[in-house]
Amino acid sequence: MAQELKSINLVAPAFKGVNTEDSPLAQDPSFAEIADNAVIDKRGRIAARKGHTVVTTNKTVLGTDSLRSIKEFKDNAGNTKIFSVGNNKIISGTTTLVDETPGGYSITADNWKLVDFNDKIYFFQRGFQPLVYDNAGGSVITLSSVSGAAGVTSAMYGNEVLAAYGRLWTADVTGNKSTVYWSDLLIGHDWSGGTSGSIDISKVWPDGYDEIVALAAHNGLLIIFGKHSIVAYQGAEAPATMALADTVAGVGCVDRDTVQYTGTDVLFLSHTGLKSFGRTIQEKSLPISSLSGNITKDIIAALQNETEFFRSVYSPEEGFYLLTFTGQDVTYCFDVRGTLENGSYRVTRWPSTKFTAYTRLDNGTLYIGTVNGISTYTGYSDNGEGYRFKYYSPSLTFGDSARIKILKKLKPTLVGANNSVVFMKWAYDFDTTYATTEFTVGTQITGFYGESEYTTVEFTGGQLTNQRSLNTTGYGTSVQVGLESEIDGSPLSLQEINVMALIGKLL
Amino acid sequence: MATIGTNEIMGMLGNATIGTPNVDYSRYSSESIDDLINAVAGGGGIFQNILGGLGEIGSAITPAIPAIAGTLLTGEAYDRLSDVGREAQREALALAERGQAESQFRPFTVTTATGGQLGTRVTPTGAVETTMGLSPQEQALQQQLFGGAGGFFGQAQMPTAAREQAIFERMRAAQRPEEQRQRLALEERLAAQGRLGTSSAAYGGATPEQLAIATAQEEARTRSMLGAMQQAQAEQMQQAGLGQQFLGASYLPQAQLLAATQPAQRMAELQQQAQLYGTGLFGETAMSGIESRLLAEQARANLLGGIGSNILAGLFTPQVNQRTGDVIDPGGFGDLGGLFGGITSGLGSIGRAIGIID
Repeated sequence: MAQELKSINLVAPAFKGVNTEDSPLAQDPSFAEIADNAVIDKRGRIAARKGHTVVTTNKTVLGTDSLRSIKEFKDNAGNTKIFSVGNNKIISGTTTLVDETPGGYSITADNWKLVDFNDKIYFFQRGFQPLVYDNAGGSVITLSSVSGAAGVTSAMYGNEVLAAYGRLWTADVTGNKSTVYWSDLLIGHDWSGGTSGSIDISKVWPDGYDEIVALAAHNGLLIIFGKHSIVAYQGAEAPATMALADTVAGVGCVDRDTVQYTGTDVLFLSHTGLKSFGRTIQEKSLPISSLSGNITKDIIAALQNETEFFRSVYSPEEGFYLLTFTGQDVTYCFDVRGTLENGSYRVTRWPSTKFTAYTRLDNGTLYIGTVNGISTYTGYSDNGEGYRFKYYSPSLTFGDSARIKILKKLKPTLVGANNSVVFMKWAYDFDTTYATTEFTVGTQITGFYGESEYTTVEFTGGQLTNQRSLNTTGYGTSVQVGLESEIDGSPLSLQEINVMALIGKLL
Repeated sequence: MATIGTNEIMGMLGNATIGTPNVDYSRYSSESIDDLINAVAGGGGIFQNILGGLGEIGSAITPAIPAIAGTLLTGEAYDRLSDVGREAQREALALAERGQAESQFRPFTVTTATGGQLGTRVTPTGAVETTMGLSPQEQALQQQLFGGAGGFFGQAQMPTAAREQAIFERMRAAQRPEEQRQRLALEERLAAQGRLGTSSAAYGGATPEQLAIATAQEEARTRSMLGAMQQAQAEQMQQAGLGQQFLGASYLPQAQLLAATQPAQRMAELQQQAQLYGTGLFGETAMSGIESRLLAEQARANLLGGIGSNILAGLFTPQVNQRTGDVIDPGGFGDLGGLFGGITSGLGSIGRAIGIID
């Protein structure tokens, strides 16, 4: 007698993001084994990320190098200027990159950190005299050449710089990894007079020894990140009297460029994964609730394999925190709009993006630095080239891992994917060789009534959904289904996948 | 204590004698004056010759004897007055020399109960020299005190810097434990607050608390320094004071010796006064005697002169017999030829007697 097809509806598949920590068999189908070039869209669906559009038309000064950092300078008069670094140069502009490197100033590394402070933008990098720019001067100059500069010595050529509480703060100086220096109040070029000063926290580390990696200001605290511990000072508005507020042992920050402010918290990458400062303070050193708890092993592996540097950005508009391991050319996208039951963010992975720098402008625009210069995070192609969106479910047992499942049909429901070729894949019993079937999503006409005359914006009906029913073959006790599509101009969201299978005999 | 007995003073007075050592005034009496007159009036030798001449003259002038006697007496009175003046001058000078000798300072010596001595003497040049001597114990004490004074003065003259430093170190040594406790307490507080390594340019490269405690401790150091300076100066003053006290005390035996001589000096003054009084009294008395003699000799001279004058007056004054009423010729100039012959003869004898006439 013919058996009834069993329908397993994967509604909003992977809306919990990637989970590589739990056993595939025990996983919630809402997780994904793979979610590449994906984000969790506004409706909680897994969707293709946006691409980037290069705005730079003249990148001569950059040569073949990539931008390593981007920062928007703004002053109280409303003057703005985009600065970036790369190819051992200080660069300005977006369409045409202009070399702003001070004459006679030799740069041999591009690990600059740029901060806006009191109508100036400052450039700090370990071992290099800080640079400064303001609109009145119109050019980038060395900090010591600023009128009234004091105390600008190699002792404060820090790798980390923070503009907070009316001062510049710097740390991670060559040969001194335990001292934080601060400038005079509102005077970023005075490091020896006024109320400038320093604090040596070598005796404060909870683990006895650590090295300062990053600084952050949050909730009235000056947060000093070590490699494996955190020290927080309160009262940093008056640094001479600021006092230790809290210490966290066992959790530190791996790189200054992983620290991002979300408004209510500070995110940073520790050696055990992405952490939230607020939660870390609450939980002290317990590393059990990592924001990257679903990909902890992946993160740790990436950390261990990283040979270049880290880049990150927080975009409230996109609702994500991007963390890029530039040496491995992989970016993890953490959806910061909410956390899962285990306290982790939903995370997806963006491989091979070649993104090497980020900055978010005040207007919400996300600038991305690449070898091509400055791009905006927009559109659905990487500067005209497609990228592969991938979704793979965890292995599904349909509630009974002892019985054979015989896939009959896969019915994906897609949103968008105009003219895209979609590959549906499936495999049994953890096999990595997937059976594939493909279909092409037709032209998605968003105009009402399917008429082109209504495709104009004012009459658009939004993204269209596309549902297909695809026959499948094979059998096994566990089934993994996947969907891949080349994203090249059109968005794609995976609404659901309805898996039709026959439940076979017991093995 | 030195004392001078009254007997001694009276003895000194009793030994006083009137007159010079070469002149024995005691042998002078009213009779001696007569002798003097007689010696003047009639001596042997040349005077006899002269008187013999005069006798001749007298014989010659017997009838004029009264007139001659009157004249001679008058001359004698004149001469006596002259001799008495010279004699009185000589006696007065001798008396003055005697008084001067008697009023000379007489050395004396005072010996205290502790053995100190104050001696006086008149040097051959006439100067009065005073010598003081202390007993061996007093000298030892004086030397000890002198040495102490020298030591204290020496210390007072020493620069105070080293002493200031020593006092300062002692004060700091007393302050350091508490400062150390304060530092440690602050260090612990700062460590607990994670601020041990804080360095602020506004607070001299430290925290406000560190600056405050450093300021307080520096103020304490400054106060200690000033206190040390004041103490050193006070000690310097104390050394000087002690030196002065020792120096003063070292002169105490001498001062006591001098004080002990005060009564003796008073006695000496009394002695001197008595001596001077006695000398004055002796001089006055002697002068009174001389004056008396002068008066007596003057009176005698006057008497002689009066007699002579009377004789001469009788010679040339006619006498009236009261009973008969006859006027008797005094005859004074009746035989003036014989008179002058006799006188010439007499004068010739006198001239031969004295060798002016062969």
